[in-house]
Amino acid sequence: MQRINITERANWRDYAEEVGFDFHTFDGEPYWDETAYYQFSLQQIEEDLEAPTEELHQMVMDMVGDITRSEEMLTQLNIPRDYWSYVWNSWNSGEPHLYGRMDLVYDGTGPAKLLELNYDTPTSLFETGFFQWVWLEDQIRNGVLPGRADQFNSLQDKIEQAFIQLELPTPFYFTSVRDNAEDRGTVNYLMDIAAQAGKNVRYIALEDIGVIGDAKDGSQQFVDMDGEPIRGLFKLYPWEFMVQEEFARAVTDGNTQMVEPAWKMLLSNKGILPLLWARYPDHPNLLPAFFETASSEPMAAGWVRKPLFSREGANVDLITTGGEQISAAGPYADGRYIRQALHALPKFRDEYRNADAYTMIGSWVVGDSAAGICIREDATLITKDSSRFLPHIILD
Amino acid sequence: MKRSKKAALVLTVPVATLLIAGCEKEVQGMVYSNPDECSAGGWNSTEQCEADFAAAKALHPQVAPKYVNKQECEADFGEGKCETAPQQTASGGSFFMPMMMGYLAGQMMNRGGANTQQPGGANMQQPTAAGAGSSVPTQPLYKSRDDRNTFRTATNRPVAKGVGPVSFKPSQVQPQAGRLVRRGGFGQQAATRSSFGS
Repeated sequence: MQRINITERANWRDYAEEVGFDFHTFDGEPYWDETAYYQFSLQQIEEDLEAPTEELHQMVMDMVGDITRSEEMLTQLNIPRDYWSYVWNSWNSGEPHLYGRMDLVYDGTGPAKLLELNYDTPTSLFETGFFQWVWLEDQIRNGVLPGRADQFNSLQDKIEQAFIQLELPTPFYFTSVRDNAEDRGTVNYLMDIAAQAGKNVRYIALEDIGVIGDAKDGSQQFVDMDGEPIRGLFKLYPWEFMVQEEFARAVTDGNTQMVEPAWKMLLSNKGILPLLWARYPDHPNLLPAFFETASSEPMAAGWVRKPLFSREGANVDLITTGGEQISAAGPYADGRYIRQALHALPKFRDEYRNADAYTMIGSWVVGDSAAGICIREDATLITKDSSRFLPHIILD
Repeated sequence: MKRSKKAALVLTVPVATLLIAGCEKEVQGMVYSNPDECSAGGWNSTEQCEADFAAAKALHPQVAPKYVNKQECEADFGEGKCETAPQQTASGGSFFMPMMMGYLAGQMMNRGGANTQQPGGANMQQPTAAGAGSSVPTQPLYKSRDDRNTFRTATNRPVAKGVGPVSFKPSQVQPQAGRLVRRGGFGQQAATRSSFGS
């Protein structure tokens, strides 16, 4: 695993905007960054990333049924009691899921370690499945990279296959928060792939979803702007928010098939990390993790504290083995926490900026197969929404 | 090869709402903002215009969509375009509904019908004398905030871009008891948390 400098494609920003990637730069700071790429060997990809991703995924899926039946674990994960049976039903009726991403720390040697699961609302999908793929094609065509260079990235193929196989209500709706370009970009990409898979797709802004019917007799139903029922809905909006909001009851009343399904609530939650560690202690791809309680000692060096529900590194605190404390601010300080042993992100040298870069790998799962990776870099040990996205190649 | 065979985009634009297609025969009606406009149009008698308007007005509180607060209603129909509905909530509170912006006269007078130009001539059904052959109740029409030119039924079916004769499938304009639609029940946390994807 190496970090290699490369010249940016001349007109990539224009091209990005043409294909709807209008969040390539955030507040003047690059988000998409092609001043360098990461290079892996095929063995690193297959043995250290692909196989562990599928194994971790299987371990997690094996636990879901048990969690849905355990009052203790549901409580530990902060799943509201009113939704326990809904979550149980969604798992037991086999409600299908589409995709997820696990974040790994890996430096090219030794087993990758699982940092967290993003199995409900993962983004960076378009950047991974489309934009970095096109980058590789372009750079091969430009003669900058050799023709045998490959990429661990079957994301679009696998999502298209998943949409072909999934039995979804027609039309099938996609929703995201109205004023979020990144979420909208992700949803547009998924809609595009679904359309290519032959699905009849519609978009509705989250705020525009309507409800008809009566909460008292459980007859509520989601409707679109024309008052037509929404029977199938992909939502890029976290379950833990939805269940706290005004229309939460309509989800359980109605017959809308949700993607991701409700059981994904259990897997977008840092509480899965201590549960995994308890079941698979000393697994090479896991880090020790525990729920923080009122009687927990102050956090020691070499540990990380994460809220159960937090996104993009928000409200994460860590103390390095050297005793240095690093914290990320955020809006998630209102819930419970877990602690996870620190396995620091590897440090690479960013020549272009003459700075250090800490690197995290996101590993995608579509259905139940590993489907590619994406790489994020930050100037600190905590990867955030402002962290840069870099492409990668496989070359031996 | 460990990458996708292709990565391609085909749409990236929202799919337009489609009208329900069918092989049902089209019928005709007239759209007016008010009975004066109807009388001036000369298609119907003043009495018929007044009678249709009254019938639509009477149906209006029954079929108009209802909202639990004025704000939600105005979000769909525009500021100042909503009124208090006669119905009350179980706890004695008010419902709100859009104001009637026009009406569809389902019963065509024969003197008007004979001159009416209709798109898709093959499907044309000649309007007959008042009442006969008409399967569409006269009803109120509304205009949404984001599409000020289009007259819509209470169930939000677009009927016409302006006044005058229209043709439509009867099933698209069957009035139903007004449903209470609530919106905006998701996304509250979006105000306090900046990022939703992960």
